[in-house]
Amino acid sequence: MELADRAVGLLLSSISLSIFTYYTFWIIILPFVDSDHFIHKYFLPQDYAILVPVFAGITLLSLLSVFIGMVMLKSKKKKA
Amino acid sequence: MKHIVKILSLLVAISAFWIGLLQATIIPRSHTWLLPIYFVVSFGCYGLLMVGVGLMQFPTCPQEAVLLQKDITEAKEFFKHKGVDVGSD
Repeated sequence: MELADRAVGLLLSSISLSIFTYYTFWIIILPFVDSDHFIHKYFLPQDYAILVPVFAGITLLSLLSVFIGMVMLKSKKKKA
Repeated sequence: MKHIVKILSLLVAISAFWIGLLQATIIPRSHTWLLPIYFVVSFGCYGLLMVGVGLMQFPTCPQEAVLLQKDITEAKEFFKHKGVDVGSD
């Protein structure tokens, strides 16, 4: 079963590396490039560079709190 | 209590550094505004990378697995002889 583990590990690392390079390009390098370069086609407008991570972070936090709330409710119901 | 104080002081130092960067305009203004979000995202990315690398390098011990299975069957035989119900497999 270590092959499946390695495949998942490879997938995770590649996802994280790609997200990191895309985001670095988006935020740091793109503002210095002329606005009629072709590369701008591959990147969303810069406002999304802030909205997408903030939205993802808020979604993550709310999912976590919902999960914690459900677990707390379940444990209380079992005691009573 | 001391741990929280340490973390809070670290946060205050980082925000002071960021505000200093904003005032001094060493880096262009637009970049300085985006720096905190960039660092948070890259930190999350780094955590994910460490998890992936750890998964890839996780050591399995095939010999230990075989020995463990032998131990399990041995224990099951022992308990069956003593009359304890070892249940389903």
